[in-house]
Amino acid sequence: MTARPSLTVDTSDPTPPYEQLRRQLAELIQAAALSPGDRLPPLRQLAADLGLAVGTVARAYRELESAGLVSSRRGGGTRVSATAPSLPDSERQRLLHDHAKAFVRQAALLGADEQQILTAISQAMATCSPAS
Amino acid sequence: MEGVLVLAIGACVWAGVAVTAWLARARPRPAVPVRTTVVPAAAPVPAGATAAVPAGAPAAVPAGATAAVPAGVAAAAGAAVPAAAARRTAGFRLAGVITGLAAGGTAAASGLLGRGLLLAGPVFGWFVLAGVVAGEISVRPVAGRTRRAVVEVRRVRDYLPRGLATAVAAATAALAALVTVTTVTAGPDDLGRAGRVLLLSCGPDSWQVTGPWPGSFYSVPLAVIVAAGLITAGSALRAVIRRARTGADPDAMAADDALRRRAARTITGACGILVAVPLAGSCLVSAGALLSLSCRPAWWTYAGWALLALLIPVVALIGWCAGVLLAPARAAAVAPSAG
Repeated sequence: MTARPSLTVDTSDPTPPYEQLRRQLAELIQAAALSPGDRLPPLRQLAADLGLAVGTVARAYRELESAGLVSSRRGGGTRVSATAPSLPDSERQRLLHDHAKAFVRQAALLGADEQQILTAISQAMATCSPAS
Repeated sequence: MEGVLVLAIGACVWAGVAVTAWLARARPRPAVPVRTTVVPAAAPVPAGATAAVPAGAPAAVPAGATAAVPAGVAAAAGAAVPAAAARRTAGFRLAGVITGLAAGGTAAASGLLGRGLLLAGPVFGWFVLAGVVAGEISVRPVAGRTRRAVVEVRRVRDYLPRGLATAVAAATAALAALVTVTTVTAGPDDLGRAGRVLLLSCGPDSWQVTGPWPGSFYSVPLAVIVAAGLITAGSALRAVIRRARTGADPDAMAADDALRRRAARTITGACGILVAVPLAGSCLVSAGALLSLSCRPAWWTYAGWALLALLIPVVALIGWCAGVLLAPARAAAVAPSAG
């Protein structure tokens, strides 16, 4: 069974929760983890799961709708737009390198050597692999 | 007599509220520092994509960071929250069943001309539903600094027991059809109470009267309480799917889904009692009335025996629902041990 994508909100972060949600959902859509036509969780359900106000989630959805990433319909919920842009391959590669560099830098600051970094990546992949 | 019924039901409600309040009393859990880790989405993200942990996204907690998270909420103790939630929701359900038995018993012993007996099942079912709703509302969302939710759409039909739900829907349709017919055909009794007996003309100046007959005298209060019960059941199912998850890791989610399935099963069972008990009563009383008239047309005999035959699956449904309500542990076998 394919694991489902998840959203994380850090309430101590200065970035408002609605912006954290908007950014993560936008990335999921652009990365095609959420396909056109996929339904987003109902506002109240997602708000309850994250312990947020319904208005916070509603604002994130409104922002995504303004960006053309999702469309809302009365009774039909909020779905990923058919015209939602996805990331081109070059952009995916660039983001991958950026994240890898950021991770390696952070690991180096923690004093990890190359082997430890590779082990950490392997362990993370085993934990987060869709097949797991 | 009706005043006694109201007083007794009121007392039962207060007893139920007292029990639920006692169950809802939050046991303080010690906040302990729990090491949290970055958990990226395990989604089918194409290689190179950055889905759940965006660049610079604030969601990521630096590796090795610690956060004060209640012990039961920690991912490492993921089973603790569903176990606590399971205990709490089971307590509320049990309180609903006990209160419902008391209220239903009181209703059965009260009421005018058998009305109480007819309403006992729906009253019982309504209290069980109230217990389930209270239990679901008592489940609190995951607290703590970093919160995680899976992108999913929970639907009622994913949690309903199909066979039982189909049987209950069929019983509801049968009750609605039977009560509509009996209401339309009912007449006033000798004291002028509308919709209480069945009148049959046996000749130009000859009438036969039989009762009780489930006319408007019985069907109106029955329809009101059954409709209220079904609306409550709808609200209860919505509460079941909308309440917060008790965790976002796969084990906690599986246990949480088992909890929801058990709640949906209880709601369906309560609806079954709500509908099947008055249906059985209506079938029995209608069949008795139809077969008691000596000048009845031939098809009334067939109808009477058909109603008696209908009693068999209805009684089986009552037994099924009672089993679901009184032995709900089977549905929760997937849940982690409640400890």
